[in-house]
Amino acid sequence: MPLLNSVYRQREAGKPLVTLDDYRAAGGYQALPKVLAEMDPDDLQYEFMRSGLRGRGGAGFPMGKKASFLPKDSQRPKYVVCNADESEPGTFKDREIMEFNPFQLLEGITLAGYAIGAVRGYIYIRGEYEHQARVLDRAVAEARAAGLLGTGLFKSTFDFDITVYRGAGAYICGEETALLESLEGKRGQPRLKPPFPAVAGLYHSPTLINNVETLAALPPIVEKGADWYAGLGTEKSPGTKIFCVSGHVMRPGNYEIVLGETTLRELIFVHAGGLRPGRRVKAVWVGGSSVPPLGEQHLDTPLDYEALAAAGTMLGSGGCIVMDDSGSVVRTTLRLVTFYRHESCGKCSPCREGTSWMEKLLQRIVDGQAGPDDLEMLKALFGRISGRTLCPLAEGAVGPVRTALELFPDDWADALENGVPVPEPMLPVSS
Amino acid sequence: MTADQIREYLEPRRHEFADPRSLVLPALKFAQTGRGYLTREDMEAVAEATGYSASYVESVATFYDRVYTEPVGTRVVSVCVSMSCQLRGADQVWEALCDKEGVDHHHGGTSADGRITVQEAQCLGYCDRAACIQVDAEETQGPHTPDSARALVDELRAAPDPDEYWR
Repeated sequence: MPLLNSVYRQREAGKPLVTLDDYRAAGGYQALPKVLAEMDPDDLQYEFMRSGLRGRGGAGFPMGKKASFLPKDSQRPKYVVCNADESEPGTFKDREIMEFNPFQLLEGITLAGYAIGAVRGYIYIRGEYEHQARVLDRAVAEARAAGLLGTGLFKSTFDFDITVYRGAGAYICGEETALLESLEGKRGQPRLKPPFPAVAGLYHSPTLINNVETLAALPPIVEKGADWYAGLGTEKSPGTKIFCVSGHVMRPGNYEIVLGETTLRELIFVHAGGLRPGRRVKAVWVGGSSVPPLGEQHLDTPLDYEALAAAGTMLGSGGCIVMDDSGSVVRTTLRLVTFYRHESCGKCSPCREGTSWMEKLLQRIVDGQAGPDDLEMLKALFGRISGRTLCPLAEGAVGPVRTALELFPDDWADALENGVPVPEPMLPVSS
Repeated sequence: MTADQIREYLEPRRHEFADPRSLVLPALKFAQTGRGYLTREDMEAVAEATGYSASYVESVATFYDRVYTEPVGTRVVSVCVSMSCQLRGADQVWEALCDKEGVDHHHGGTSADGRITVQEAQCLGYCDRAACIQVDAEETQGPHTPDSARALVDELRAAPDPDEYWR
């Protein structure tokens, strides 16, 4: 099925929309004045809920419902926080929004701010995205100068401004409570929940946290109506979703599709250009590295939340990493666990120690030095890590290993016998 | 970097935060632009400018990969080694740069002339341009091969030092 560029308005426009004039010419900043003139905040929240938009950062929680959890009678200031700490391996969709369509994100954050009665929005952007942060800085300055941020927007009584806040290299800060800790000037370690951020988030105030893609989806929802959005895709997975395809494909890149309409096979072979000649799909991590992999037998799974869950994985962030039969599941799994070991914040022992143990065991297997009990020891670790930590990072490390063992038993048996030689990588095609 | 310089940088941003503690990380990042890493004096200056203790400031600084509390090279070259880049030759790029700069494959490190630090990076978010490399906090670039990565480091070595070290 074809692509549908709704969040990626810049692609529809055929050029980057990094100036306010260009964004307006492409239909931007029509939603905000309409909302401020015609709707009260509760109506707008209801519109978000009716659209069925689900959080695009990974968990898929309904956005409108999340907004409705903020207490209406709180005397404290409320905040919107945009999670732009895009660090999930294989995920690079938010980067393109911020770099080429920054005003749609600003407009989306402002709409969310109006819906919950917020006084300020924060964009927490990963430190490695300094280039994108500077694009956002310029966009915020231009929006302020044009009266699109500041006091009394569009002659209403609504005051709202946005701050771009840079992280400094920590995957864990994409976890919402760790992000809040970091934004508050502390070490970025997750908090015990409850209380949830909706009740006590940034500076103990009611806070709505959403991913970049989620917030950038709001202007089109207002422009075209919640019914239009809810009518796209399936009942439980409405709307469009950006998939970032990388790894062993000919055309890696971002592809915005209507949920439920496109299969994994179409995403890889039609949109992303397929594999090198003579290669077959070995494994695909559809929703970023934290989700269990799928095999060739799952290629006809439609890309939506329910169908992917039924296939044994998760839609996650949409970071779809494709590996062909030249790659090694065992080596790639080790790499993935190394990532989680490195990024474990160290707060919870099962995660801090467990990811390190998993890495050591996997390294022994890859090096061909595994003992007869090592695989059993690896399996025994899962239950000692899983479900015993404050945040889902540890779960993200365990799930993919567990599934890789189930789906590819022959690869593991072979690795235990012989180790795993370094596979030949797919190098860039010289142009 | 002096406490006054840090204060001057923070002042226009202060009103954006309900709690001034939020200024600690921006202050650290700014203080680092002076020499590319933080000395004890830099952290004490951040402490003075923000009003928190030096030990607190250090506890924040040591949490983040991109805040350096030990000396690093004039340019820091981060080679992404996460899954997507691994599949597209990141390990070969990494080893080529380590060999070129004479640092070990396990930890990377700084070249003997102090010009280049080679370090592993976790996913940089440029998987569509794997294998990718980021120099300091400049825009990430790719796809790289061992040859193109070696050429990049040669260019960096020949280039004048940056005015500010954003990392």
